[in-house]
Amino acid sequence: MKYTTRSTAILLLMLGFLFSFSGVQAQYLEEFEEKVTEFTLDNGLHFIIIERHDAPVASFYTHVNVGGVNEPVGNTGIAHIFEHMAFKGTHYIGTTNWEEEKVAIDNMDQAYQNWLRESYKTDPDSALMEQYWDEFQKYQEESKQYVVNNEFSQIIQQNGGTGLNASTGADFTNYFYSLPSNRAELWFNLEADRFKNPTYREFYVEKEVVREERNMRTESNPIGRLIEEFLAVAYTAHPYGRPVVGWNSDITATTIADAKDFYEKFYVPSNITIGIAGDVDPDQMKEFAEMYFGDLREGEPAPIVTTKEPEQRGERRFTIEGNSQPIMLIGYHGVAESHEDFEALNLLGNIISNGRTSRLYKKLVEEDQLALQVGAFNGFPGSKYSSMFLTLAVPNMNVELDTLEQSIYTEIESVKEGVLTQEELDRARTNIRAGIIRGLNNNTGLASNFASTHNNQGDWREVFLRLDRINEVTLEDLQRVAREYLTKDNRTVGATVRAES
Amino acid sequence: MKRLTIFLFIALFALPIMAQKRYDEIEYPELNPINMPEIEEFNLDNGIKFYLVEDKELPLINVRVTVKTGGLLVPANKTGLASMTGQVMREGGSENYPADQLNTLLEDNAAFMSTFIGFGSGGASMNVLKEDFETLLPAFVDLLQNPAFPQEKIDLAKTQTKSGISRRNDDQQQIAGREFQNLIYGDNSVYTRQTEYETVDNITREDMIEFHKNHFVGSNMTVGIVGDFDTDDMKRKLREAFGSLPTGSPTNLLYPEVDYEFETTINLVDKPDVNQSYVTMGHIGGLRENPDYPAIQVMNQILGGGFSSRLFQEVRTNLGLAYSVGGSYGSNINYPGTFRLTTMTSSSQTAEAIDAILAEVKKLQEEPITEKELQDTKDRFLNSLVFRYDSKSQILNERINNEYNGLSQDAFDELVEGIKATTIEDVQRVAREYMKPEQVQILVVGNKAEIGDQLNKYGNVNELDITIPQPASDEPQEAGDAAQGQEWLKKMAEAVVEPGTDVESITTVGDQTINSPMGEISVSGTVTINFKENSQNAVLNTPQGKITINVADGKGTQKLGSQEFPMPPAQVQQVQNEIKRSYMSIAIDRSAVDAEYMGTETIGDTEYVKLKINFESPVTYYLDPATSLPMMSTYSQFNPQAGGNQTVKTEYSDWTTVDGVTYAFVTTTYADDEKASSSSTESLEVNK
Repeated sequence: MKYTTRSTAILLLMLGFLFSFSGVQAQYLEEFEEKVTEFTLDNGLHFIIIERHDAPVASFYTHVNVGGVNEPVGNTGIAHIFEHMAFKGTHYIGTTNWEEEKVAIDNMDQAYQNWLRESYKTDPDSALMEQYWDEFQKYQEESKQYVVNNEFSQIIQQNGGTGLNASTGADFTNYFYSLPSNRAELWFNLEADRFKNPTYREFYVEKEVVREERNMRTESNPIGRLIEEFLAVAYTAHPYGRPVVGWNSDITATTIADAKDFYEKFYVPSNITIGIAGDVDPDQMKEFAEMYFGDLREGEPAPIVTTKEPEQRGERRFTIEGNSQPIMLIGYHGVAESHEDFEALNLLGNIISNGRTSRLYKKLVEEDQLALQVGAFNGFPGSKYSSMFLTLAVPNMNVELDTLEQSIYTEIESVKEGVLTQEELDRARTNIRAGIIRGLNNNTGLASNFASTHNNQGDWREVFLRLDRINEVTLEDLQRVAREYLTKDNRTVGATVRAES
Repeated sequence: MKRLTIFLFIALFALPIMAQKRYDEIEYPELNPINMPEIEEFNLDNGIKFYLVEDKELPLINVRVTVKTGGLLVPANKTGLASMTGQVMREGGSENYPADQLNTLLEDNAAFMSTFIGFGSGGASMNVLKEDFETLLPAFVDLLQNPAFPQEKIDLAKTQTKSGISRRNDDQQQIAGREFQNLIYGDNSVYTRQTEYETVDNITREDMIEFHKNHFVGSNMTVGIVGDFDTDDMKRKLREAFGSLPTGSPTNLLYPEVDYEFETTINLVDKPDVNQSYVTMGHIGGLRENPDYPAIQVMNQILGGGFSSRLFQEVRTNLGLAYSVGGSYGSNINYPGTFRLTTMTSSSQTAEAIDAILAEVKKLQEEPITEKELQDTKDRFLNSLVFRYDSKSQILNERINNEYNGLSQDAFDELVEGIKATTIEDVQRVAREYMKPEQVQILVVGNKAEIGDQLNKYGNVNELDITIPQPASDEPQEAGDAAQGQEWLKKMAEAVVEPGTDVESITTVGDQTINSPMGEISVSGTVTINFKENSQNAVLNTPQGKITINVADGKGTQKLGSQEFPMPPAQVQQVQNEIKRSYMSIAIDRSAVDAEYMGTETIGDTEYVKLKINFESPVTYYLDPATSLPMMSTYSQFNPQAGGNQTVKTEYSDWTTVDGVTYAFVTTTYADDEKASSSSTESLEVNK
């Protein structure tokens, strides 16, 4: 066609835009269909292998569908404590004599449980407590003589392993590192061994390490303190309100028996997804998987979280007085990732606070200079269950928190009035699409993204198919979710303030 | 490949017999070869050096410009100029691409651009989808060449920088990092200079323009490009886009020598809102150019490098004292690094952790490491080398960084050979030669009350003051007449306190009105000020009930009902300063103050005598020449919320004489011309 009128040209441009949008999604999905091999072992353990042969390296990522939300009352922090224990070795790594060490560990735990039980009595017998404590220390010393410190991690590092770490969130626990790709079998060997044969070695010393981690991230950190308090105020019933690192007294109260119980319930194959990305052969990976993970006990399906957060009955507010400069959090109860409004809320957070053209940045940071930093995002502290749409605001030094807070509400109200434009929505979509593309160029990112997406949404393809859902969100949807969720009654506002003011 | 198949076959066949293969029974196949990419190089006439690597995996192009410049070059009174110039270059947009337009263009195309200037280098980068490259490259080059530096973006950067300064004592780690550097390099060193409120105020738009113009020139630039492009085509585009940049003259980065004297010190920063001590200790480190550099790296790995290190094993795993622990002897390229050991531990375990860490350093000096430790450390390093080449941009970056730092292209390969050759004796020798655990400076950022006397055993604890310096007073510092000053001071004093009257304290009953963001708040009550003791007792009736505020002996308390709260030290200080600055206090003890006559000033219809009383922050009284009574006073004070000075003005009226004391029964105070508070007195008693 040689000639077109102006309006058809625009129409074609628009169609072209939409085409290229879903086109990209289809193109990448097709490309990755070729690179990805999936299989599930008979016991339910799922593997996703992503071939990427650019360099002779590979990244290994284990996603366990367990986090802070799954912890029993009285044992907050246990998911994280178990994660630390997964670096302590196995029945032959990290020990000189497991048979004898095991006896000492069992005795140590029994003594600790006795001590603990006595200490909780209304009128504890101090002589008895001392006796139990001495016993506990004796067995702890005894068990220590068999320990070969950090042997598990050292084996990985000697073989060139990098990026060795793990993390625990509200919804998940993950373990990951990278190896030269010819050493893939080492990963299978060690990973299967640590999850088949946990030892709870050095358990009580490691709990003190965890307590120091809590001190560092929460007790001695103004933002950490604020977030812990914020969640505790925002959630009445759902375990999202509890700190993943655990309350101090729960860290004390957690025993090896508790950790074993937790492991038995949640570390079952059907609750684990593994992602491997790099210079590997999928057939060989499958053989290794059968060989090393085939006999992982099947177990019962992991228990599920049944508590739902009740509807909030009115705004909740709190302040923490301290020595640090003010920071503010404003959160609204939203939805879970499986809910149809989840992507609309994601887009809303993205549009109002992402980038220098976003409304909150332009108005609060640039024009009015009220905020040093401001951000809004959906899905806090997790996404598996109904979670929060959160706004974080850091005021500039001459600004009252109250002024900043009101300005944020003004912007939110304008969104409810329908002030957002198609241009802003398109821009957000473009950036999300590019963000997905940019995330495809490293092994660790690919392995973790594909495995966690499979775990959360049932299919790694959702990494790309998500773009379809994003495409379906309209301006009316954005206005509707703002009206529905971003209301005063549904809000929690928390801030740190200087003690003098 | 054949070997591999046979091996697999054996492994599978063996499975039912063996319960679990041990990790050390695994045989590894050969590692696939590493594909080293070709790096294409070329130069432009204006001096710019280009390095190109094709990477077709994703439809992206990344451009990274390195510029020879840095904060090192900035005069001390303008510290912050370099980093703020780097910030405003991007925030302010360019002549042809003003900020708003540029931001929209970039975000519509999901593209990123950034600019920065650090201490010893500067640069810019751009990451775009390949189809947008041609549209965005001119904008990127314009940003490099013609940044607009609009005044409003400079003001925004200043506000943000000052907000950052006001927050710099909130985080333990930030305090520890900064103060430890001060201990090692000295607080007046170019290596430790801090951006302060005052240095930010000193920076002008002209400074930024000048700084940019001098350094963002062709002879200072290296450009690396990696991504999905055709090299020949790309070279043509780059020539065209970068060709117009001026050659300029190369920047000379001179790093001053460091003069360090080994000493043992123990230093504390009190942070009452934490329950952990952030411990940093050490002394000066060394230079990269040192034949012992490889052996030092092996030593660092064994001492404090990650999960396998001795510090991690002992302090974390064995003793459970810390989540985070580490240490290394640092070697910088241009000036000496620091030898630094760090950990974070509960307040009550501070000394235990310090001792445990130092013991590990000594052990490394006294006992040779084992053959296994040496071999494990080498294995760790050598086996992970493949990750050094696992992305094309990483390879490109290493090449450019070596070039920038004046290291040879094979600097890293030399390090590898050096590490391979390191012996047990080498490690012990460098441990002895470079680390001095008996002569370390210890810094603890933590809760003084919880730490108690644990630190005393290391020497006299030097408590560091980390108060953020306030900008100097904005008032002109002209000198007045001292003789006339003394004369007027005497006149004022005698007008306020009749000669022969011995005033120790006054007690007033009345109302105070404070203007707050919530509106006016009025409280009534009784206030007693003792001028000899510099103390104050106030009993106020508020809507919340009776509040008693007591300031004495440098301490303050507030009591509401049966609850008592300590007053923050800053607030106590403020009350005491107010008493000291008051005309009553000056009149009672006029021999203690230094006064200057500053001439007269006409306000309204009256010509007032200006009498300046010199305190740390001076106060000026405006005296009515007829009565010698002050009608007004002004002083300048730092307002932490505003990050600047404000002028506090007080007006006095309704002078009433009681028992030889003449007192202003009505006062009104203004902060920067806004009414802040007022008071009215109903009755007064002297020496009650």
